[in-house]
Amino acid sequence: MEDIDAMFSDMLQEMDLLTQSLGEEAESAPLPKPSSIPEPQQMNFSVGFTDFNASLHDLEDNDLDALMADLVADISATEEKFATERDTSKDSAPIAPKPLQPQSNFGLPASTDTSKPATSSNSIAAPPPPPATKLSKEEQEEQLKADKIKLALEKLKEAKVKKLVVKVVITDGSSKTLMVDERQTVRDVMDNLFEKTHCDCNVDWCVCETNPDLQTERGFEDHENLVDPLSTWTRDSENKVIFQEKKDKYEVFRNPQIFYMWKKDKKSLMDMKEKDKEQLLEENFCGASVIVPDLEGVLYLKEDGKKSWKQRYFLLRASGLYYSPKGKTKASRDLVCLVQFDNVNVYYCKEYRNKYKAPTDHCFILKHPQIQKESQYIKYLCCDDELSMTLWVTGIRIAKYGKQLYENYKTAVRKASGSATWANRTIQASSSASTPSPKPKVKAANGHAPQPTKDTMGPANQTSFPPPPPSLDILPPPPPDPMLPPPPPAPPAPPASATKVNKFPPPPKFPQSSFPPPPMDDLPPPPPPPEDAELPPDFLPPPPPSFGSYGADMLPPPPPDPTASFPPPPPGPQNFASAGGAPPPPPPPPPPPAPAPAANPSAGYVRKVAPPPPKRTTPQLTAPSGGDLMSELMTAMQKKRGQ
Amino acid sequence: MAAWDLTVTVEDLGPDAPPLQISVTSDLHIGGVILKLVEQTKLKKDWSDHALWWEQKQQWLLRTGWTLDKCGVHADARLIFTPQHKPLRLCLPNGATLKMRACFSSSVFRTVMGICRVLNIRHPEELSLLRPVEEKKKKKDKDSSEELYDLTDVPLTAGSVQALYNGMPAHFADSPKTEAVYKMLSVSLPSPAPEAIAKLYRPASVVDKTHIHTRWLDSSRSLMQQGIQENDRIWLRFKYYTFHDMDPKYDAVRLTQLYEQARWAILLEDIDCTEEEMMLFGALQYHIGKLSLSQDVVSTCQGMDDLESALKSLEVKMVGDGNSTDILDNMTAPVLNDYLKIFRPKRLTLKGYKQYWCNFQDTSISYYKSSEDRFGEPIQQLNLKGCEVAPDVNVAGQKFCIKLLIPAPEGMNEIYLRCENEKQYSQWMAACKLASKGLTLLDSSYQSEVKNIQTFLSMQRSNSAAPTAQTDDSINTHSLVSPRYHKKYKPKQLTPRILEAFQNVAQLSLTSAILKFLQIWQALPDFGISYFMVRFKGSRKDEVLGIANNRLIRIDLGVGDVVKTWRYNNMRQWNVNWDIKQVAIEFDGNINIAFGCVNADCKVVHEYIGGYIFLSTRSRQQSDTLNEELFHKLTGGHEAL
Repeated sequence: MEDIDAMFSDMLQEMDLLTQSLGEEAESAPLPKPSSIPEPQQMNFSVGFTDFNASLHDLEDNDLDALMADLVADISATEEKFATERDTSKDSAPIAPKPLQPQSNFGLPASTDTSKPATSSNSIAAPPPPPATKLSKEEQEEQLKADKIKLALEKLKEAKVKKLVVKVVITDGSSKTLMVDERQTVRDVMDNLFEKTHCDCNVDWCVCETNPDLQTERGFEDHENLVDPLSTWTRDSENKVIFQEKKDKYEVFRNPQIFYMWKKDKKSLMDMKEKDKEQLLEENFCGASVIVPDLEGVLYLKEDGKKSWKQRYFLLRASGLYYSPKGKTKASRDLVCLVQFDNVNVYYCKEYRNKYKAPTDHCFILKHPQIQKESQYIKYLCCDDELSMTLWVTGIRIAKYGKQLYENYKTAVRKASGSATWANRTIQASSSASTPSPKPKVKAANGHAPQPTKDTMGPANQTSFPPPPPSLDILPPPPPDPMLPPPPPAPPAPPASATKVNKFPPPPKFPQSSFPPPPMDDLPPPPPPPEDAELPPDFLPPPPPSFGSYGADMLPPPPPDPTASFPPPPPGPQNFASAGGAPPPPPPPPPPPAPAPAANPSAGYVRKVAPPPPKRTTPQLTAPSGGDLMSELMTAMQKKRGQ
Repeated sequence: MAAWDLTVTVEDLGPDAPPLQISVTSDLHIGGVILKLVEQTKLKKDWSDHALWWEQKQQWLLRTGWTLDKCGVHADARLIFTPQHKPLRLCLPNGATLKMRACFSSSVFRTVMGICRVLNIRHPEELSLLRPVEEKKKKKDKDSSEELYDLTDVPLTAGSVQALYNGMPAHFADSPKTEAVYKMLSVSLPSPAPEAIAKLYRPASVVDKTHIHTRWLDSSRSLMQQGIQENDRIWLRFKYYTFHDMDPKYDAVRLTQLYEQARWAILLEDIDCTEEEMMLFGALQYHIGKLSLSQDVVSTCQGMDDLESALKSLEVKMVGDGNSTDILDNMTAPVLNDYLKIFRPKRLTLKGYKQYWCNFQDTSISYYKSSEDRFGEPIQQLNLKGCEVAPDVNVAGQKFCIKLLIPAPEGMNEIYLRCENEKQYSQWMAACKLASKGLTLLDSSYQSEVKNIQTFLSMQRSNSAAPTAQTDDSINTHSLVSPRYHKKYKPKQLTPRILEAFQNVAQLSLTSAILKFLQIWQALPDFGISYFMVRFKGSRKDEVLGIANNRLIRIDLGVGDVVKTWRYNNMRQWNVNWDIKQVAIEFDGNINIAFGCVNADCKVVHEYIGGYIFLSTRSRQQSDTLNEELFHKLTGGHEAL
């Protein structure tokens, strides 16, 4: 309970400060006194996660480590992202020299100097820098205000990001557990997996979802979000996420003739010239609209609610899957639309001959992704042979995703060819986008006292503040942000407590200093790059004074700099252990460890639930049960360390 | 050298004036003839555009340096002295007729370039001229009433770069009249009346479709040579279905006319599509029509402003006063609260609609027994994210239902919401629609979505109203679909179907809607195929040859199905035997085909194939200048080479 309290109080404090300081400014108070403001504790708006999964305990120890690393990386990534944005505003700032105080954790968030050593992990916070340019007081205030608002918004946005812990089964039978946040595409997740598994990064690798109830399998497309589909799994789902090579994922781009000239003799197709293949791709994927393979032929359709399969002559069109009714011609106007692809996905099926008495085992179904069980809303189709099934499924994917599929393929090829250098490249790209931060010396000279570390403050807060659930109401919902559509709200039902997917709240944010810097190599570029690009420009360069107001704690760790201080380590566990285990700061102890479920595992998981949240008028906010998870995690980790 | 008399008719002297006789010698060059002629007319005017047309030989004498002897002109020649540029009644892809001057003496390819320069259409090589379908006699008198746009006063500029003035090429900005012409060219026209569509010729079969292609003019000869007279009607159409470098910024006219051509192709069943596709085309036409009527240039960078204003408002609120509830009130997303009737169809139930207090918040609907219960637990909460939303509306019957298919692990939950009136319906419908996409009421598109639904509903309402000119509100849905569906559905049956498709496109801007229309059109299986009736060598029956931008298709008329496809990139060479009018093509792997054309000139077929090959070279050479020589090389007949 205490940690929740702490969290609440932190949050309350934060909000108080925010409003308070703004109020002050409005009343034309002189400069706000940033140094006097207790460092805004990193808030945990555990928004969007109504639930936390008990299954943490099921995770193996090394999973936990990896997970922890992920979490930390996540926290710092956000920080960093924000700081980077902030820094970009300082156009006028001179190029920063290397940090002079080694104890400063302050890192130059986004300097282009990649060889700069990462700053040490155990100390906190250099004082904030002064604004690089002299602005009038009003301007400063303005900017300060604006900056705070932006920070608040950013945090709100970040806090709402839904995260899942996903156990990914790998073909060799092992599995990896990783945290996926809802902004990550399957591509990002795969990059992450490539790092973790050290497999060759060829384009055939694919993250698939299997559903044992329906005996289906579907490879996620690289541009899809992973969190969305996984969120729709049922509570007791046996579904799995599998990481495997799938030949047919991009076969259409390697051998387009198989799909686009399927009527021709198969033998002659195999030895097609590369030049002709390229031309086929260009014709079909590079025009104003993507041309869907002109598939047609007899397929078996399982009749609604019946056991029988009926032959029909099907035709694939960009607008949907059609069949020609008995006694009619194949003319377009006579076709009957079986399904359009906007709301359905296509799934391969296994052993439908047994399950549904299908004529062959080469079946595929079309269904809404949320449907998890047998239903009349599923369209069951059966092909004569495997090739024809591949043709149809691929054809439907082309019709559904269009050019995106080709883009995915091109990205995959690019990454596969440069997989080794990729991680460095993107990170550099993002950091080089921003201008250097001001000199640390100047920051120190500004005279802001370093903020007290949170290690001491956390527990203190937790006693002095009552558990204030209503304080949540103070939080304004995030304003509409047309560029980045708000993430989906939490599903109404408490999500699954299944073993494979755990809903995760955002970690309560700990003072930066107490954490070892995240293992950078594990760090998935947290917000997908395109999103970055879409940020309105005025969001990127928040004005300088922010540093003053938001003290050191808020400052991010150094820019991800894989080459510098972290020798490309074995990812995950070991790295974490070496970096974080030895030096003082373990994560802030989940204060009174006594009644934690971990201590009493046999009794089953006792859920720590926050007081039932009051009816909220703000839509996005849900019960802050998130602190729970973190403490859970901590306990587990501690337990493990103790052993 | 002996002098002889040359007879020349000078058109400018009037139709009844006798031909002039001028005394010439055979070594007099054409320029000299013209000089003598002009002196003799005693007319003072600008003769610079005039040239000699040799009627018997059907050719122009354009080389002023050539002597009469070299041209082969003798005393028996009847020459006509006439302007090279004459007015033409150009029937545009959008169906409007535009009177403008075109060059009658240069090759049609050049003439089209000139026309397109005036009309501000880039890439004129994609267009060409064709003879119109013969009109029935009785329609002749209607011609006078036909609205005619006139551009004959606009001088033909030689420069290729057009200065823009008031957002249109400078030569359109001269007068209100020409401005109106530009508007006609660049803004799509209102939907035609259903009767007008029904009256027009529609090809009923693939054989019918071959007829239209027999009408293309020869690109390498002049209009005059092909018997086109001053003031004749002629169609301007996109001939080759590869649209290079389409850029809405520069291609206002081109895009609009292409859209119009596509629209008419759909309406007249020139290209076949399914019912679902037709409904989507209908919805897009409605949307485009509506936006075109109220065309004010709306900038699309709204997103930025929204964020900015959101920040501002947040700022104001936080600065304003610290009263937390106040902040909350202001910052809370708008909600919809109302009594609605809900119906959940289940097997073996006869229960009908039941009234509940419904609360729409975020992307969910919660419903309660009554408004008093709204603080308690809802009877049910429906999260609409990812659901299917379909309208079930009958304005006349005052039925405003929203059909929701909400996905659940077990399948889809079917739920009907019944609203009292249009206003309520449009609000809830818009909210459902946004929620299905994961957007909330807070989204900036909500208000426009509501408005869209309202205007669409009013279509139904005003059907019975007086048949005024098509305004924003009244439109007959029959004018959005091909006549086949006029028979199949009544307008009020059609409206909900189009409305359903409309939901998915209502948010598009004018340009994106047009692009979307073109995209779907281009994705149709039969898109871009031009049909010709041919007879293959060694075959005894007529077959149809389809020419597309990348392949030739052989279609068996008996089966009506594609028999064989040959791709251009396997093509080694093609020849035309002009004597027996046979096209012979050789493909990789020693495949040889030869065919003669049944109803078209084989020059047309030859030009079509050559034209596509010419167009495919464009992407490689990025220069703006058109390689006219290459075009003629690829498409010209024996006389051109």
